[in-house]
Order: sequence, then structure tokens, then C-alpha cells
Amino acid sequence: MIKTFLSVAVLFISLQANEVNIYTHRHYPSDEILFKNFTEKTGIKVNVVQANADQIMKRLEEEGKYTPADLLLTVDVGRLTYAKEKDLLQPIQSKFLEEVIPSNLRDNEGYWVGVTKRARVLVYNIDSVDPKSLSSYESLAEKKYKGDILTQSSSSIYNQSLLASIIAHKGEKEAKAWAKGVRSNFARRPTGSDRDQMRALAAGIGKVAIVNTYYVGQLIHSKSFSDKAVAEMIGIFFPNQGVDERGTHINISGIGVTKYAKHKDNAIQFIEFLCSKESQEIFTSVNYEYPANKNVAPSKLLQSWGSFKEDHIELYKLGQFNATAVKIFNEVGWY
Amino acid sequence: MMNRWSFFNYILTFIIVLPIAFVINHALGSETQTLVHLKETILSEYISSTLILVFAVGFLSLILGIGTAYLTTFYQFRFVGFFVFALALPFAIPTYIMGYIYSDIFGYFNHFHIFVRSLGIKEYFNVLNIYSVILIMSLALYPYVYLLVKASFEKSKSALLNPALSLGSSRKKVFLKIILPLSRPAIVGSLALVMMETISEYGITEYYNIKTLTPAIFNTWFGLHDSKSATYLAVMAMLMVLIVLAIEKYNRGKASYKIENSNAEVEKQQLKGYKLYLTYFFLSLPVIFGFLIPLIWIGVYSYEYAAKFLDDKFLTILTNSFTTSMLTAFIIMVLAFFVAYTSRIFPTALNKYLSKIISLGFTMPGAVIAIGIIMLFTDIDKWLIENYITKTLFLSGSFFTLLFAYMVRFFAIGVNTVDSSFERISIDLNKASRSLGYSYFKTLFKVELPLMKNALFFGFILVFISTIKELPLTLVLRPFNYDTLATKAYVLANAQMLHETAIYALGIIVISLIPLTIIILKRQV
Repeated sequence: MIKTFLSVAVLFISLQANEVNIYTHRHYPSDEILFKNFTEKTGIKVNVVQANADQIMKRLEEEGKYTPADLLLTVDVGRLTYAKEKDLLQPIQSKFLEEVIPSNLRDNEGYWVGVTKRARVLVYNIDSVDPKSLSSYESLAEKKYKGDILTQSSSSIYNQSLLASIIAHKGEKEAKAWAKGVRSNFARRPTGSDRDQMRALAAGIGKVAIVNTYYVGQLIHSKSFSDKAVAEMIGIFFPNQGVDERGTHINISGIGVTKYAKHKDNAIQFIEFLCSKESQEIFTSVNYEYPANKNVAPSKLLQSWGSFKEDHIELYKLGQFNATAVKIFNEVGWY
Repeated sequence: MMNRWSFFNYILTFIIVLPIAFVINHALGSETQTLVHLKETILSEYISSTLILVFAVGFLSLILGIGTAYLTTFYQFRFVGFFVFALALPFAIPTYIMGYIYSDIFGYFNHFHIFVRSLGIKEYFNVLNIYSVILIMSLALYPYVYLLVKASFEKSKSALLNPALSLGSSRKKVFLKIILPLSRPAIVGSLALVMMETISEYGITEYYNIKTLTPAIFNTWFGLHDSKSATYLAVMAMLMVLIVLAIEKYNRGKASYKIENSNAEVEKQQLKGYKLYLTYFFLSLPVIFGFLIPLIWIGVYSYEYAAKFLDDKFLTILTNSFTTSMLTAFIIMVLAFFVAYTSRIFPTALNKYLSKIISLGFTMPGAVIAIGIIMLFTDIDKWLIENYITKTLFLSGSFFTLLFAYMVRFFAIGVNTVDSSFERISIDLNKASRSLGYSYFKTLFKVELPLMKNALFFGFILVFISTIKELPLTLVLRPFNYDTLATKAYVLANAQMLHETAIYALGIIVISLIPLTIIILKRQV
């Protein structure tokens, strides 16, 4: 009886073989559109489990070689680096990807590929701040910003990566002094999301906030009257743009093929699809992210914020400093 | 004495506790280095805010829960039937969604502040702080106390009030001296549920950035990438709860809370004058802030986004939530009933402890239990594959795993409701039935079950609604393409699209209302 049941189950699974299974952390409307488009274009069914990246990686790890997952899609480069370290991914080769995705947005050994970029920028209250007075992330630690800075708590992975980038560029000691300085300039105890920092900014609490660009896009296109009002009161500033400066910190959403993928060809095809022009345009227009494909222009809204110099550090390096960043946050009391 | 009842009890507890054993085992190899770092930096702040939150929420929930249960049980006034029903409703709104709603309403450019500014006040009231979290969590969790304590009050009022009143005692005295102390099992049982859920809550504490142990666990796991030290912290939190419960049990000693059942009607006291208005005021507070205001918010934004989300998929998601919750609640209540009954008829120390141990799953953050579940089932699966019984992962990532995970998590609710009710029913009834030649099994159905109906129903509702709202286990353990109302709401909220979550929150409320309505209406008849 059980055997019959099992063989039916196996048959059922093999009938559906033309599929690709994804564990994803991303939770944006753009992704659902892309999954659907991929199936329409290729006939390959996309199966998804959407959960917190760190937890789903634990599941992937425990499932080991029997995992049904072919792809791991997540935000933040630190997590991708961690997945590689934990031996959860396998390297892939694709001429197309090498051609269109800049090398600093890919793993140096081909274990993962960035599909979108997001810049972590400064936003300011247009009534109380002259953008000319703003300069760099480093300056936020200066005494003149006492009581002015708004940001999320240190459990925000984006803050962790920002600090990791400072560690990578300036060393641990300077990074710690920076975190301590920024912490003493907080306008309030960090609470809420990136959007909430901008809301507070518009309400006159603090003058400068550290946020990801696509949240600004979400505010501008929000249906909510109050969020639209917030969007009108803030300006975007890309820090570290000076001639001898490194550029604005960027992070990625990225994807990798799992080590024991059962549908490797479909998986690679899916990654290439995500990096194709049509998909990249959806990422940038629906979710306000910057395309990773260098041949695709950002959406009109993103272009209206101006172009900027990016920090071109190889992103995989940031992952290595993630734990150190968290420790520094704990030590300086940036909760 | 080994008998079939106890044997079944041992096996069941073993199975339910197995994932937790995996978690503890996982914690054993934790890095002392990480723990030292945590101790030197953030741990003391995390522990103190955990304690503040747990005690404050526990205290407020008791006041709201016992107060409302008392007024609706012993007094007669217009709309009392409505309040009996409405007071349970805040439980249908997930805590973290209530948290999002209030942060939205109190946003600088939103309803509250527009009103405040129209009065000429320029001040900004920031609600993202621990006081709001205490209030919101109390509003979301007091229904545990209300439901369990009310069931207990209902049971004792006719048996006690009539004789005591005829002996000339005042109502107040009877309540304070007899009924309230006799409800201790229900009060403690529900308080334990409130406190455990407060410790393991993640959504609202994360958003309001209140550093309790649960965020500390995630800081360690996701930030420092040390899942072992993270589980170590979770095990510590679990032990703390266990110790508190053990102290209470010890304090209670051999006190008995049993009373004879009586169906005599008690005349409820009529409320008049200022007392009536005070009562209305007190009863309205939790209904308005715990349910009505969130409901209006949810209603408005559901309407706004209905067109975007109401499709066939929504129906599937609704069905998923409903069927899993029904199934979970049913299985848990049946099994919890057996477990509690076993320790009732064979009150050995072991049986008594087992009913506590089986509740451990409720004291840990769902995400940590998920680790235990994943490890357990992948191990079983690997064994099955290596022995050529299956070819691919059969259990992990299946619906069965999810169902089992809910059982591990919510068994505490089942056992606590059944236990606290059993403590009120004299074992003599059982013995009498046995002496008439009925088996334990038959006695269970003929004697205990009819007396327990209310408690079982309440337990069923609590498990049912908790399962609908459940998030961390569902997120990480679910099969491919499987969504529930809670996961959908969370995913949108996580993308910071708060208004879009409304329609799924509405779904949760509507489904929760089904069993709630049936049971409350039935009780009124």
C-alpha cells in the first residue's frame, strides 16, 4: 500500500520534472511578475518557498544533498557570501552573465550573481538641510550632527553591510569609531523601517537619514496620502562622491545555484532570464531597484535622482566582515 | 504502574518533545566566545527589557482579563451578550499587525496627528517605544486570560454563589475569598500562556526595536552566524519559564480546586447608575482599542486594495489557513485531552511532569523550534532514503511536517486549557463511574467530556486562531508554493507595504470569527 502510494508520488514528481525550485528571501511584487513571465516564456514551472534567508539557508544546509531547491535568491551580499562559505552553492559558468553583469557584482569564483543593485543613501529634510552641507558617510559621525541622524536598528542587514564596507575600506578600528560617533548623533533610538526614518525626517525629528533608494521610490508611488506628503519633503543625497572618494555604498540582490540542484540547466536559464533586459526593466520600474545588467538603464524615476559614483569594492569582501560589523554594533550600543 | 494510558502518554510526549531535544543538542556545541561577547555587550539590556515586557504585559493582561471576565459573568446589564463575544475578538488580530496599525495611525502625517495639529498642538507623539508595545501586546493577549478565567468563573458561580449568599455573605466577599482563589489554575494557566507568547514574540519587538531575548537570539543567529549560541539563548529562556512555572506549582502545593457541578441558575446582579457607566467604559476599552480601531483600519485598506488581491489565489490561501488550523486544533485538543486525562486518573509524578514538558514548544521562538523540526525530519528522511524506502525527501518540506510543527508549538495551549479545567472537577465522579463498572474510556466520555465541553471549546478556539496567525514555523517549513493568510500578510509587511496587508488580516479575522461565533452563540442559548 505504502509502496504504491510512494510510486504514485514519485511518478507525480517526475511528471512535473520541467520545473525549477527556488528558496527566496525576496518579497517584492516584481518577483511574482517575473516568475510568471519565466514560465510563460520557457514552459518551466517555478516553485517557490519564500522565507527569511538565514532560516531557509539552515533548511538548505540540513536537507543536504537531497534538497529539492535549485536556487537560492536573497537580498544582501553578506548572506550570499555566507551561503558560499557554508558550501550551499555551486559555481556556474555563463558567457551571457559574464558579459552583462559587472565583475564586482559577481562572486569571484562564480558562486553567485547580483541581479539588482540598491544604493544606501542619505535623505534629508529639504526645509532644514542644505544638501551642499552634506558630504560622506564618515561625516555623519561628526559632532555637528548631534541629535540629527535617523537610521534603523543594527539588526537591519543593510546597516550591517554598510558598516562592513567601512571596515573593508578603513579597517576595524576606524569603523568602530565611526559607529560610535554616529550612535551618539542619533535623533532617537532606532526604530521602525527605512520608510519610518523618512517619515520621522518629514516630521522634523532629525535632519538626515540613512536609507535604501527603493524605499524612496515606494514612498513616491505610494497610494497613501501621508506617504506622498513625506516624499515631497525629503531630498536624496549620494554620499562620498568627491574626486578622491570611494563612492556611494551599494548592495545587491543576488542568486546562486544550490550545490545539489536537480535542475541545474533550468536554474541557469532562470538566472539568465532574471538578468535579461526585459526582467531588469521590471525590477527597476516595479521595485525601483538599479539594474545589475550594465546595458539596462534605470527607470525614469531613478534617473531623476541623478547618476552617481558607486563604491566598486568587490562585494564578496563585505560578507567576510558581516559578523565583525554586528559585534561592533553591539559594542558601541547601536541597538 | 505501567498501563496503556500512561504508555500512550509517554510515547506521545516523546514524539512531541523530540524536536526540542534536537534543539538542545544543537545548543550544546555553542561557542563560548560568542556568548562572552554577548555577555559583555548587550545581554543584560536584553534580559532586563525581556523581564520588564513580560511582567508588564502579564500584569495588564490579568487586569483586563479578570476584570472583563468578572463583570460579564456576575452582572446583568444591557449588551452583556455583545461584550461576552466582543471581548474575545482582539485575539483574532495578530500582535505584529496590531503593532503596524498603531504605528501607522500615529504617523506624523496620519489621522491622529492631523487631528492633534488641528487643535493647535505642534508636538509629535512618537509611539515606537516600549510603552506602546506593552499596551498593544496586552490588548492582543489578554483574551487568553479572559476566556480561560471566564470559563472557570462560570463553573464556580452557581455552585458557590447560591450557598454562600444564602448564608449571608456579600457578593464581593464571595468573589474575593472563594471564587477568585478557586480560579487560580485558570489564572495561572492563562498567565503562563501570555508570558510565554510575550517572550517569543518577534514581529512587533523587531519593528519597535525592543530588545528582548528573541531579537537577541536572532542577532546571534543571523548577524553573528552562530546558530548554536542562538539556540543556547533560546534554551536559557525556556528554562527561565520552566522555573517560574515550577515555583508556582510548588506554591500551590496540594491545594484542591475542585467543586461539585451545579446547574442551578444564579441571579445576576443588575448594574445601575455610575457603576453601569464605569462598567461600559472598562469593557469598551479593550474592544475599541484591541479590535474596533484595528478593524476600521483593516476595513478601509482592504477596500482600497481589494481589486489587487481578491482573486482565485486568495481563495486558495483562505482555504489553506482554514483547513490547517481546523486540523491542528482538532488533533491538539483530542490529544491534550488524553494527556490531561491520563495524569488525572494515574496521577504519578512522571505523568504530571510530562504534561508540563509537552508544553515546552510554546516557550521558544518559532524560528528556533523550526531548527529542531528541520533536523528531526531531514534525519528521518535520510534514513528512509538510505534504506531504499523513499527516493527523495518525503517528510521534510511536506504538509505533514508543518502540521507536526504546529502541534509542537501549540500543545501548551491545549494542555493548559484542559488541565486548568480538570482541576476544577472532582475525581470522585470518575471513581464513582468506575465503581459502577465503566471503563476509563467510557467514563471519559460519560463523565468528564460533558463537564469539560466549555474548556475544550475554548481551547479549540485558542489553538485554531493561534494557528491561523502562526508565522515563523509556517514561513520556513512550508512546502513549495504554499501560502497562508499570515505568511502573505507578513511578506507584504516585510516589504514595508503595510496597507497592502489589510486584506489578509481581514481574512484572518473572518476565519477566526467562524468558530468564535458558533461557540459563543451556543453558550448563550
